[in-house]
Order: sequence, then structure tokens, then C-alpha cells
Amino acid sequence: MDFSQVELTAEQQAFEKEVRDLLSTSWTPNYAHIALDHDRSPDSVRLAMAKRGWVHPELPEGQGGAGLGEIEQEIITALFEEFYIANNASNSLLIPTLEQHGSAWLKEHVLPGIRSGELTTCLGYSEPDNGSDIAAAKTRAVQDGDVWVINGQKMWTTWGNESDYCFLLARTGPIEEKHRTLTMFLVPMDAPGVEATPVWILGGGRTNVTFYSDVTISDNYRIGPVNEGWSVMSTPLATEHGAGVKTEGVVPINGSMGAGFSRTFEKLIDGAIDWAASRTGADGRSRLEDPLVRIALAEAMLDLEVCWNAEGELGKPMAAEALAVNADRLADMAAPEGILDFGVDGSIAAGIIASERQHAPGSAIYGGTTEIYRNNLARRLGLPRPY
Amino acid sequence: MTTVLRRNDYTLSDEQDQLVAMLRSLFTEQSPIGVVREAEPLGFDPELWTTVRDNGLLTISLPTTVGGDGGGLIELVLTGIEIGRTAAPVPLLDHVVAMRALGRLVADGISVGALDWEAVLSGETIVSMAPISTWELGAELVPSGAVADAVVAFKDGALVLLTRTEHAPQAPNEGCSPLAWWDPQDSAVTVTTLLDGDAAALQWDLAHREWRIATAASLVGILAISGEIARAYAVERQAFGVRIASFQAISHDLVDMHMDELTSRNMTLKAAWLTENEPDFRPELAAMAMAQATRAALRSTAKAVHVHGGMGITLEADVSLFYRKASSWSLVGGGIRRDLQDIGRAIDRRAGERARWHENSAAVKG
Repeated sequence: MDFSQVELTAEQQAFEKEVRDLLSTSWTPNYAHIALDHDRSPDSVRLAMAKRGWVHPELPEGQGGAGLGEIEQEIITALFEEFYIANNASNSLLIPTLEQHGSAWLKEHVLPGIRSGELTTCLGYSEPDNGSDIAAAKTRAVQDGDVWVINGQKMWTTWGNESDYCFLLARTGPIEEKHRTLTMFLVPMDAPGVEATPVWILGGGRTNVTFYSDVTISDNYRIGPVNEGWSVMSTPLATEHGAGVKTEGVVPINGSMGAGFSRTFEKLIDGAIDWAASRTGADGRSRLEDPLVRIALAEAMLDLEVCWNAEGELGKPMAAEALAVNADRLADMAAPEGILDFGVDGSIAAGIIASERQHAPGSAIYGGTTEIYRNNLARRLGLPRPY
Repeated sequence: MTTVLRRNDYTLSDEQDQLVAMLRSLFTEQSPIGVVREAEPLGFDPELWTTVRDNGLLTISLPTTVGGDGGGLIELVLTGIEIGRTAAPVPLLDHVVAMRALGRLVADGISVGALDWEAVLSGETIVSMAPISTWELGAELVPSGAVADAVVAFKDGALVLLTRTEHAPQAPNEGCSPLAWWDPQDSAVTVTTLLDGDAAALQWDLAHREWRIATAASLVGILAISGEIARAYAVERQAFGVRIASFQAISHDLVDMHMDELTSRNMTLKAAWLTENEPDFRPELAAMAMAQATRAALRSTAKAVHVHGGMGITLEADVSLFYRKASSWSLVGGGIRRDLQDIGRAIDRRAGERARWHENSAAVKG
């Protein structure tokens, strides 16, 4: 057992300063930037990081990374938080898949940019008629000599409008054969016939419906054998649900999504504290001393500590729900200003409470609903399949 | 401003694993549910207390300098979890927390009044803590107060020892806990000042945090055993031709109970480690662990009762016993609102950090 502070080596301190300097010059911290777990990292930051191998710092030097360890990765994460930068530049879900199943051409021309983070990707699994039942995909890819022609549409293509490639699941045989006639492709999003139409979600975030109309791509963009897309796809899906690799014990114990939500939750509390510190009650005292405010803040801080103590897969439903409950709690604490919009005069900490209250329901849905997570956890506890 | 990273390592050492195994077998064997029921309504089994004393459990979590075996708060938490799992009717946790507080004085050469330290060490003299003594004047309910010979309290800015020549009568309560009223004004009670001034406040704060941690640990044990009983029942019990655990309405509650148990356990261990190794770092963690374990134990034992349907509310059901214990063990410290009040320490610290962030950052303020 050990919760002690890590004594950073001279090299690690120098690294911290280097990252800090880079972020200071490529990004002005935007205090109102609350959708940190949903938005993509700004291009200015991503490209500057990619140049130094810091998007996937764990990869070896010369192969897109910087050969850095867990502590340096956590330093990057902490600084992104301090600077209020969305920390979603990673292609780590796709890297193992492309390494294992990508064509020689993809490995030579595309994989290096994906590894460094210069290139960005999005996921093309869900369709209008299927959400969790991915194997029911209808989007069709038909081989025509050396090329494939793709037709169909995908839902919830978050970052589909700002990505270089889409990791696309397509039907390459009779639909009745479900998961036995699926193939994966890496579709260039600038190919003629690809269109990403915005779907605006609660909180002002954007996801997309993507349409594929006679999109013609070379066979080089196929990932893995024809009709074996199901097993190819499960490589990153397994990673998405898992927790971080622990070697030196500084990575939070909750999985990546749970940790992301917890960090957003932390920002929400900070905004609420800033608001209370800036207001004076009728008795002339800071609202920070108001017992009603203190009890709400203490409850929120307690819930946050619970989130940081939730392990692995538990972390996601725990943090998603804590975020929703506490966005409500803090909006109520700061009522009526708590409901004022983003950036509006008189709003609380630039409106981050109202904004997060709108974002929070999504946290309990995307990447697997809290019910799906509970079903998985129930199986791990030895409980029977749901009736 | 520099980035600060901390480790998040909750793993037990081999020695700690062995301690858990020893405690598990001892309490499972010596404190089966029949013994717990037999000890009611007082909630104290003198024979089990003798077993605990004879097996050296009182000195495991005490420094060697004052006659202990050198263990610390983590060992006390592990002991607390096993006590909770069996609802063992012995005042071990209150006694050890009070003994650790008194031991710090003994180690500094401060007199502990008329107490015979050897008798405290052996458990012949039972000591306890008065966790709510800073909040209310006059008489207060004291955990293990009906079996204790002496109680550590904080009155009028001083660390005091209350002693009685004969035991206080139990204040009957739903969990059959040996609670009792102790009144410093009562002629049967002697009040001895042990320490005053800032040193007294510091000692009390530490003792109070340790009491919260030990009590939270006992609630983690209650959470663990209630979850196990409820899962076993739900996997076996059939309704409408299927096992009831296959209904999501039930399995999701069982998952939530498990999450309550694990988060409470982790928070208690983390609070224990930091209180022991870095008492000035995040002093609110003990109150957080207590608040989480309290709310978790209250709602999860209620879910365990509910999963059992009508059987759950019968007095003979094991889950109803743990439901009763959960409130009597958790709320004697003054309840969650008192914990939240102390978590307030974190608000002021964070407000200071935020002020510095605003000063140093060129952030867009929206």
C-alpha cells in the first residue's frame, strides 16, 4: 500500500517544464471549456504534441512515440487538466488493430501518422437501426476489381467531421449471416461521397450521422481478411472497456472513461467554489462560508473521492452517475444563476454548471450505457445472464 | 506551480494478507451469528472478549514503544473489517482507538490519570471514545459506553479522561450496541484533564479521525457480508421459473452493493494510510471514508433485506441483523452531516488553490 507523493527525477521535472512551456504557447486555457471528456483536443495542441511523440508517449522513439513511462504520461494528463484542454487526441484503440491486421500499404502510409497523432480517427460502428447490436450493420461494401464501393450510413460518428479516417464496419455478404459477413475498412474521410451531418446533443456538443454514397476506395484500405471484421473490430472494443496498464501505481485505478468523467466532475466543483468565493451573502460574508453552500460542496467532494476510489470498470457507471447527480446538486446550490447559459452575463463560472448538467446524461450512455456496464459487472460477480 | 503525482497502490503486504486470514478464521469460528444473537441485547460477549485478549488482538495495531506489536492503522482497518463481517460483540475497535490515543500520551511521558496502563493493554480495563464530545455540552451517548471503564473525550478545549467506578446502564438501541449515556456532571463520573491547549486539539483530532477510520472499517465488513449473503440468496432463489438474480432489477442492486463495498473499503484504507503516514495531507479523508461507509452500509443492508423479500424483514434472517447493526454502528459518531462539516476543510483548501490558479493563469474566464 502506498499513497505517497512521487519524487520526480531531474529529467521528469525538466519534461514537466517542457510540456508546460509547449502548452503555454499553443493554448490559452479556456476556463469555460467543460466538455473535456467529449471534445477532441484542439489541433494546435495535438500537432505540437505529435511532433514530439507526446500523443502516444509510451510508443518507442522513432515509431511515433517518445519512449516515455507512466509518470511522464500522468504529467501530460495533469497538465492538460491544469490548462483546461480536452485530452482526446489518442488513436490508441486503433494502433494495435492496424499493427495486427492492417495491409502493408496502410502500415507504410497511414500507421505512422496514426501512431504519432498527426492523423486522427473516428469510429463507424453504430447505424440508425442498430445501437448496441453492432453485428446488424447494413452499410455495404462491394468489391469491384481493385476497389471497394461503400454505401450506407453510420450514427454517432463523434469527430466524424474533423477526422482523417474512419474505422468502418461494413457488410460484405448476406446480412442473414450477421457477424460472419462483416469486414473492416479505414475510410479516408475526404473521399468523394463521404458526408458528415451534425447531430447536436445536450450541452452543445456535436456528433454526426455519416453518409457513404458510392464511396470508392482501394483494397489497400481494407483491415484484415474479408468477412472477418468481427474479430478485427473486437481488438479495440476490448481496449475501450479496460483499465489503464499499471506499472508504477500512479495511474488512477478507475478505467479511462471513469477517470475522464471524474476530472470533469473536479472542474465542476472548482467552478462552484469559484462562484461561491465571488459572491457575498446578505450578511456580508462570503457565500463560501454559507452552511447551505458548504454542505452541497462537501457532498460533491465526497462523491468525487468515491469516484477516484472506484476500480476499473466500476469507475465508468459510478463517475457518469455522480456527474449527473452533482451537476443537479450544484445547479440547485447556485440557483437561480446555476441555470444561466454558457458565457452569459451573471452566469456561474462561465456557465459550466448549467453546461455540464446538460452534458451529464450523455456520459451515462456513450461508450456503453450504465446498464450494459452493470450487466458486465453482474457476470463478473457470478450472477446469471439477465432474464 | 509544479505537477504533483501520487501513487494509488491499495495492495496489502503478505503479512497483512496473513493477518486477514488469521482474523477471518478466528472470528468465523468464535463469533458465529448464534454468539452474536446470544450476546444481545447488551451486545457484549465476555467470553469472546477473553478470546480476543488471549489471542493478542488488542495490541496488534499499537506501537511497540507502549507495549504493542508494532502494527498501525492499516492493521486496525483489517481487524475492523473482520469484526464487521461477523458483527462480533466485542468493543475491540473503540478500545484500540482510545488506547492508541492514550498511548501517544504515554509515549510522551504524559500521565493518563488513574489508569493502570498494563490493565488497559491487556483489556482488563476497557477504554472507549466519545466521538461527539466536541459538538454537544453535557451528557452524551458513548459507543461501548455500557462496558467501558474509561472514556477519552474532548471538553472545553481539553483532552479529558472520564472514568466510572461501575458501568453505565445501556441505552437500548436497534442494533443492540452497548451504547450508554456518560454525563461529566454525574457524580459517578470522574473527569481528569490529560492535556489542554493546541496540543490537546491536535491529539483529539487525530484520535477522532482514527475512530472514524476504524468504525468505517467495521461498516465495510458489514457491507461485504451483506453482499455475499444477498448474492448467494439471489442465485439460489427461484421465482417465475428462473433464478431471481437473472432479473436486472435485482442484479443491478447487487452490483451497486458491490460498488458500495469496494469504494468504501478503498477509501478507508487510503484514509488510514495517509492519516498514519502524512496526517497533514488531506485531513478530511477520514470523514470522507466514514460518510461513504455510513451511507453505503445503510442503503446496502436495506437492499440486502429487500432482495430476500418477506424473509428479509424477519428477525431470524441474518440480513435483518446486519441491517440493525449498520445504523447502531454508523450513527453513533453523529451522522453524515457531522462528517460533511469536517469535509469542509477541503473546501477552504481548494478555494485557496483556486485563488492561486486564477492569479497565475492567463485563462480565458468566460
